[in-house]
Amino acid sequence: MERLLRRFRRGGGDPNATRIRRRQTLVRHLSNRISLINLALFVAAYVWMLVIPFPNLGRFTYIDENALQPGQVTAYFDWGNVHTADLYLADLESLRDLNSTSAERASYITTQFKRLGILAASQAYEFDASVGSLKGVNAYAAFPSPRSPGTEAIVISASWLSRSGNDTLNLRGIATILALADFLKKYSFWAKDLVFVVGDGYLDGMQAWLNAYHSTPQSNLRAEELTLTSGVIWTALHIDYPGHSFSHLGIFHEGVNGRLSNQDLVNSFERIARSSGVPTVLYDHIDWRDNAASRAELEIIPLWVPSFLRDNHDVQTYAFQAKNVLRHVGYQARGKPSGVHGLFHQFRIDSFTIFAVPATGPHGFHAIGRIVESTLRTANNLLERLHASFFFYILTGPYRFLKIGLFLPSAILISVAVMFSGLKIWTDAGWVPDDSPTDSKTNSPQEQWTTRKRPVLSVLRVMVLTHIIGALVFWLITRSVVINSQLLLALIFLGVSTLPIVFVTLFPSPSAAVPTSSVLKAFSLCLASTVISTTAVLNFSLAALLAILLGVPMTSARRIDSVPIKVAVSLVYTSLAFGWLIWPQGELRSAIWNWDILGVWTAPFISIVYAPLMLQSSIVCLS
Amino acid sequence: MSKLSSSLGFVVPAISTCKFLAYLTGIPDILIHDQQLISPLTSYFRLQEGLYLFQNGIDPYDGGSFHHSPLLLALFDTMIPTSRLVAYALWCLCDAFAALALVKIWRSRQRVAQSSRDALIASAYLLNPYLLLPSLALSTSTVDNALTLLSLSYACQGNASASLLLLALLVHMSPSSILILAPIILLLLSDPLSHLASPKLFPTGLDRAVPLLFTFIIYMGVLTVASCIAAGNLLWISRSWGSNLMLPDLTPNPGMWWYFFTEMFDHFRPFFLMVFSVHLLIYIAPICIKFQYDPLYAGFLLLGVLGTFKAYPTLADPGLFLSMIALFPEVYPYFRHPIVTALLHIHSALLLPLFNRLWLTQGTGNANFFYASTLVFACSNGAALIDCIWAGLRIAVGEAKEGDHVVQE
Repeated sequence: MERLLRRFRRGGGDPNATRIRRRQTLVRHLSNRISLINLALFVAAYVWMLVIPFPNLGRFTYIDENALQPGQVTAYFDWGNVHTADLYLADLESLRDLNSTSAERASYITTQFKRLGILAASQAYEFDASVGSLKGVNAYAAFPSPRSPGTEAIVISASWLSRSGNDTLNLRGIATILALADFLKKYSFWAKDLVFVVGDGYLDGMQAWLNAYHSTPQSNLRAEELTLTSGVIWTALHIDYPGHSFSHLGIFHEGVNGRLSNQDLVNSFERIARSSGVPTVLYDHIDWRDNAASRAELEIIPLWVPSFLRDNHDVQTYAFQAKNVLRHVGYQARGKPSGVHGLFHQFRIDSFTIFAVPATGPHGFHAIGRIVESTLRTANNLLERLHASFFFYILTGPYRFLKIGLFLPSAILISVAVMFSGLKIWTDAGWVPDDSPTDSKTNSPQEQWTTRKRPVLSVLRVMVLTHIIGALVFWLITRSVVINSQLLLALIFLGVSTLPIVFVTLFPSPSAAVPTSSVLKAFSLCLASTVISTTAVLNFSLAALLAILLGVPMTSARRIDSVPIKVAVSLVYTSLAFGWLIWPQGELRSAIWNWDILGVWTAPFISIVYAPLMLQSSIVCLS
Repeated sequence: MSKLSSSLGFVVPAISTCKFLAYLTGIPDILIHDQQLISPLTSYFRLQEGLYLFQNGIDPYDGGSFHHSPLLLALFDTMIPTSRLVAYALWCLCDAFAALALVKIWRSRQRVAQSSRDALIASAYLLNPYLLLPSLALSTSTVDNALTLLSLSYACQGNASASLLLLALLVHMSPSSILILAPIILLLLSDPLSHLASPKLFPTGLDRAVPLLFTFIIYMGVLTVASCIAAGNLLWISRSWGSNLMLPDLTPNPGMWWYFFTEMFDHFRPFFLMVFSVHLLIYIAPICIKFQYDPLYAGFLLLGVLGTFKAYPTLADPGLFLSMIALFPEVYPYFRHPIVTALLHIHSALLLPLFNRLWLTQGTGNANFFYASTLVFACSNGAALIDCIWAGLRIAVGEAKEGDHVVQE
């Protein structure tokens, strides 16, 4: 033992000297290989991201909350109720054909609720957003629970417009709601109030209704107060049934600002639908192997992939799951709700959209009615809110998912690599090779290094200024004059493109010996890493996107000597930072609309956090 | 205040005016319930509630919600109107006085009438987000911080009576601040100049501390009697002072205590309450002995201990410690890992509100999330404290020669 210890403390006597020597060796080894370590981290992270849709990663979904007991009840919704729904549908279709106004529609719906003996009311609203104004009338009804004092509620909702776009109407969804109201009120087992909401428009109506329900004022919204209210809403089901019939039921679960609904609720619905004989899909992605008609979906595998791979089952599954994951990232990273259900998430309500994927058959009102009934009874079983940490997941298919530990590290690894490069640059900036002639006594074979001062305050000033400029740009693009004019946006872009040059001339390095550009790069890398790792818990998709956008570009930004090249490179960085001002146009408009109406913070986040970080890289190149 | 350098004369009023305007924009209404900025012991909301009960003839200490000192109760009941505007002005004034006190401490430490660093030091206090936000949330920790700095500043000038009176007031409002009694007495017996680079034994005998201690005890006694008269009974002692020891209210805060005691079985509670309270006290002697040549630095370190480990901290407590770093530029070159500490603080400053929101607003996280972020925060405060202790000791060794290393045995 003693011998072993002695060998361990090689170099003999003083344990402190040994310790210092050992630490120096370790630090030297690490810092010599830091670029290798960073490369390994980057590669590992990107590979990890590519592996996320892998068929064998993740696991089958399960129900965590035992109280839910999905599919354990007999559904009573029958063909008589289907007939009722058909009658409502006929009325709604005639309203559509008459080009009726919002108020007329709302009054029809409230009348129908009242004829069922349920208290109903309507609510007019008007949004005044920078992208344009919107108005409409919502109709809603509250059925008090026969078994409890009405402190909790479940919402069943539909919107006038369907999520499938092109002004498709959700008439069958609304007819389902009315038929369900007629049917559900006959039963006494409801322990929670049932609130039926038919929102006007697509997202706007429900946003106005929810704001009024929770008494959260929104400055650009003028809405009537609700005359009927109920308890705390725990669960909300949104029904979207645009076609004549449907083949699959699709699940949309992403909410505003990337919040997901509790997975237990989605899983329960999935179980119930499947056991009722209706296949489920994620979004409207039908697996082509289930359905010969959707063979076209195979197109997602590029044509250059050799056919033996294209026909391989695992490759096909990978491609299919990758499509699901990409769609999820598209919604979550933008902070955009994937349907009307997403608005409920702002108020801590678990909800998802049941989307009836349009097809020629075989399912209709009968299937959706029974499945919604059964899902409502499952939600009715809850004695406490769905809790557990079942909010952090990626669904790769309707019944396969990844837990947080299987995807979070991919973004974190990039953030670690970025942090390492930042710290390395910070340390390096503090040392400079000593040029002064060394006297013969200390003339060692090693290079001599001396420390130098690093300009912390001036660099911080530049960083703060870039973020303030980001905030200014954000303020500008939320003015309706600016957002509606292509020309002004292009002018703003031109303005910000000159910023790096302005910064370099306004805050020049006092001398070549002062490492301003290195310190700026070090600080902005550290800040970028912090932003990526803290965002990861809130919104993984956004963090992953930031990691991809910021990671390699920011670490590879460096001071360039040749003037034309450095101007060109810095322009590339500026376009990466603010390019979204001019392209793609629709994206910016929808982001601003989402911020104005729904309070999605992607637009401010991109302009106040992301763009200034890129701008700092651009300044690094130029200085 | 004596002659202020022109930039200081501009900076403090300018920032205070901006802050007063910020108050008027409605920001306090958003922040006033934020768990990171106010604790049950420092909440302005609870103070108003207690005041309302008091003015309506109900003993505010009878319920479980009021933990403020009776002195505050008496002050707001008799002298200061309870309108919001007055409170805004009062909080702005407190911060301005605290910033000026910090500048005074700096001047007496440097033994100069004014310096070019004055404005920087005042802004380091006024613009520190950890101090600015609690102040915007009308947390009474702003008042506590002002009292701390004023007491230290009088101690630096050798004004024993004023310093000890302010300290007694401070201890009345926040009893855990008793930690800085020892360094203040040492400061009164010696001088505030920086002796970090040249350690020596404490210049005078400690017998001179006895009258100072007596003065402090007499002030405490007078204030206690005044409190008893104001409150009308003795219930306030257990509800106001006692809550620092008994932790009756487990509302989450950025400190280390609440989560432990939500998880604790009742029969272990008294033992661990004792451990946690005594833990605060054990730092006094070692730090005061080690830094006997520079009691101001010792007091600064103890404020760091307090910010990390006290029972009901808000961001203002570690914020005071961080802003006071501005007083000791001589130790900066000796910090061991300043950038790591700074990054830890940025991480925790982002994670604290984020996880609080995930747990309480968004509902996707749970208490463990927020607790994890308070642990990160404690780590960053600990890192800052250790960095300052290391640098304060390391400076005495002097500039290292090429290839030399300083180790701690």
